[in-house]
Amino acid sequence: MSAVAVDPHTDIVLEARNLVVEFARDREEPVRPVRGVSFAVERARRLGIVGESGSGKSLTALALMRLLPGRAELAAGEVLLAGRDLTQLDERQMARVRGGQMAIVYQDPMSSLNPLQTVGHQVTEAIRAHESVSRHEASDRAIELFRDVGIPNPERRAEDYPHEFSGGMRQRVMIAMAICANPEVLIADEPTTALDVTTQARIMDLLTRLVEERRMAVLLITHDLGLAASFCDDVHVMYGGRIVERGTAAEVFRSPLHPYTEALLESICRLDRPIDEPITAIGGQPPLPQDLPGGCSFHPRCPHAQARCAAEAPVPIQVGDQVAECHFAVELKAARS
Amino acid sequence: MSAVNPTVPLELPSRGVRDHVLSRLLRQPAAVISLVVVGLIVLGTFGAPLVAPYSPTVSDYTRLFGPPSWSHLLGTDEIGRDLLSRVLYGGRTSLTVAAFATVISMLIGIAWGFVAGLREGWIGEILMRIADAAMGMPAILLGLVLVAAFGASTLSLILILGALFAPATARLARSTLLAELRSEYHLAAVSVGATRTRIVITELLPNTLPVLLARASLVAADAIFVEASLSFVGLGVQPPDASWGTLLQQGYTNLYRSYWYPIFPGIMILVAVLALNTLGDSVQRALDPSRS
Amino acid sequence: MARYVLRRFLTSVVLLLLSSILIFLVMRVIPGDPTLTKLGGTIKDVDPRALEAIRHELGIDRPLPTQYLNWVGGILHGDFGQSYFSQFPVTTLIGQRIGATVELAVMAMLFGLAIAVPAATLGAIWRNRVVDALLSGFAALGMATPAFVTGIVLIIVFGLKLHWLPTQGYVSFQNHPFESVKTTLLPAITLGISVAAPTLRILRTSLLEIGSASYIRTAQGKGLLRRQVVVRHLLPNASIPALTTVGVIVGHLLGGAVVVEYVFARQGLGTLLVDSVFQRDYGVLQALVLIAAAAFITTSLVVDILYGVIDPRLRVNPET
Repeated sequence: MSAVAVDPHTDIVLEARNLVVEFARDREEPVRPVRGVSFAVERARRLGIVGESGSGKSLTALALMRLLPGRAELAAGEVLLAGRDLTQLDERQMARVRGGQMAIVYQDPMSSLNPLQTVGHQVTEAIRAHESVSRHEASDRAIELFRDVGIPNPERRAEDYPHEFSGGMRQRVMIAMAICANPEVLIADEPTTALDVTTQARIMDLLTRLVEERRMAVLLITHDLGLAASFCDDVHVMYGGRIVERGTAAEVFRSPLHPYTEALLESICRLDRPIDEPITAIGGQPPLPQDLPGGCSFHPRCPHAQARCAAEAPVPIQVGDQVAECHFAVELKAARS
Repeated sequence: MSAVNPTVPLELPSRGVRDHVLSRLLRQPAAVISLVVVGLIVLGTFGAPLVAPYSPTVSDYTRLFGPPSWSHLLGTDEIGRDLLSRVLYGGRTSLTVAAFATVISMLIGIAWGFVAGLREGWIGEILMRIADAAMGMPAILLGLVLVAAFGASTLSLILILGALFAPATARLARSTLLAELRSEYHLAAVSVGATRTRIVITELLPNTLPVLLARASLVAADAIFVEASLSFVGLGVQPPDASWGTLLQQGYTNLYRSYWYPIFPGIMILVAVLALNTLGDSVQRALDPSRS
Repeated sequence: MARYVLRRFLTSVVLLLLSSILIFLVMRVIPGDPTLTKLGGTIKDVDPRALEAIRHELGIDRPLPTQYLNWVGGILHGDFGQSYFSQFPVTTLIGQRIGATVELAVMAMLFGLAIAVPAATLGAIWRNRVVDALLSGFAALGMATPAFVTGIVLIIVFGLKLHWLPTQGYVSFQNHPFESVKTTLLPAITLGISVAAPTLRILRTSLLEIGSASYIRTAQGKGLLRRQVVVRHLLPNASIPALTTVGVIVGHLLGGAVVVEYVFARQGLGTLLVDSVFQRDYGVLQALVLIAAAAFITTSLVVDILYGVIDPRLRVNPET
């Protein structure tokens, strides 16, 4: 059930169709933190998936790489990488894809690198996992990659251990590792959350440059709306395990369709408001996957909720170039303009 | 653009820790099995006067080293005594020694740990260093040294075993205590003005006891293990008392005459220790659902 | 790195010294008069002059500090004192028996590691519930079974029924290597199984904890196969916390050796210890406990140095 309006002439490198992630529990019904997620990323485009903690966005990213932890598994759906369905691959084939055509960068650079090996060695290992080159040549390439991602003095630094680097530098190492085999898609799961704002900006600049130079697609997972707004071309908003709104970044942030997106934007603390005006928050809590409200999962917190919302789950409705899963998408858009 | 939203009432998680712990415990099949096994062992050994087919000291000189048969399920020993009865009565000794040793070690350990925890500063440090040093040596070696010092008798054995297992309990007691002292409701109690003794009795003890009691099962298992080892080399329970360890030794001495003689006491020790270990682990897991 | 090693070494020496003082004091405080042991009687039927003579011979009539210094001084010259029970100096007794114990310990450790390490590694690679359950079951069983029970079973099976291996005695490695291995094989397997169980458990816990570390995810994300992730990233990192427990393992090894030597009638330090307890031979006991303490202190020193070698983080900051 793909609700994405895609121009057939553009180049889709990664497409997710109706992903369902299930989490088994002892003696109880399994939970579904991801309930039918579909999206597509085109070559050299930047897609952002935004949502609160618990919306299922990180699990979606892990599902794409088939790196779901523990009891979680991909219960349904397909992941098409350049037309090839990754869910049908065996572990060996999937290992070739990981770090090869599709790579991932994680959130916590502090602990994402093996503390016992030099960074040069770790990147060299990544290179040699996808190409049979000599160790010498691979480490030369690693040094070049370090230079490319902006690590100063790469020859010397390659011999250093992770604990001798700052957070921003470690994240650059992670990025170098991820792009070493020239992936078509780079998944970035909260890549800058653990970094300070200045470093954050620099890392995002690096990613932008890489996108342009290597024609690489980026799937950015984040809860930071500002980040998504400044970096992404297209934005999907996730809530309760589903994508509730899609569109270009400009459209979604300037004129959101879905009440959740609207409320999110409203809750941003803005500098141009009077200082004694209370900060608006969305009342209630995001639902736990095992306790989803019936009908539209947002309806208990939605200011526009009606009886229909509790009874009937909404289907994606297209308004212009945007899509939203809300019964009243059209009406609300009209009311706002 | 409206931004006011209905307030959602706060839902407190239900209290009633004890029900949850018990049900979590009983949900583990390993826990249930080990509980049943321990129960059976206790019943069989302490109920030996009722359960055992013969008296453990009566000899039947017509059947020396008899193999297992219908009249003597586990066979007979070197002077014709029924092994099943001896194993059951011997179990009584082993379990009694272990039980007393456990109680003593828990009492000493908790007192030790609490004192070390409540008195910050060098006293606490020294106490803990001693505990660390004691824990460094394996129990059997320390046990042998203590037996050398205080002689081998059932009473000294109980005291020695109690002393051997106290340090580990002390460490656990101290760390649990310190965690409690940092908890918020402890701060609340202090700020309300409760006296120290009152806090210890009404709050610290009840909150730390479950964790400490979970250890009791593990200590009992260790006590059975070490008692058997000491008795096996002749430095534990002394004749005419018999325990599984001494029975094993007698079996070992007569190994060339009968293979099954030492096997049964050995199996009993194994089963008892395994069951108590499993039970202790299960209780600890039930108390702390984050570990599994 | 060199500074780190030096500091740890000095700490160990101090610790050893303190232990020796403690052991000495404890031995002196113990109830029971060793002189009576030597004479072999109770206080009533002993000639007081003979008592004095023995006292003087054993050196017990000197003040405590002198006795201590004499003892330590002797040790530094290789003289561990005089056995209270037999005619021999303690050093001789130890010298006769240390070979048996060392051979046993080394072989047992090799067996134990040969069982535990591959089992834990395979468990981490395959990661399915049946394998996990089997491994933890084996570990639990191994830890619940006293070494002498395992030993007796092995004696019955391999010694008495199959007659493949000798079940007692000891032949030194220098004299007859092949015979020596044959006499050491059964005890070593017994002790090895005993040691493998806790080692397996500790390694598994370690592997499980590290398994959820972020850099493991990274390694998988790079496209490495499961076994490459385990061997290159998981195992090296897991061995660090596992190293801590080498001390515990050595403890199990030494404690178990006592009982295993007894079961297999092997003339080693373990049986010497048991005998000296029976005989209240404090001269021997004192020396053996000191040796045991030295063994632990040395083990912990070696472990700490190994930490420094494996973990680059420790080398940079010597304040550990």
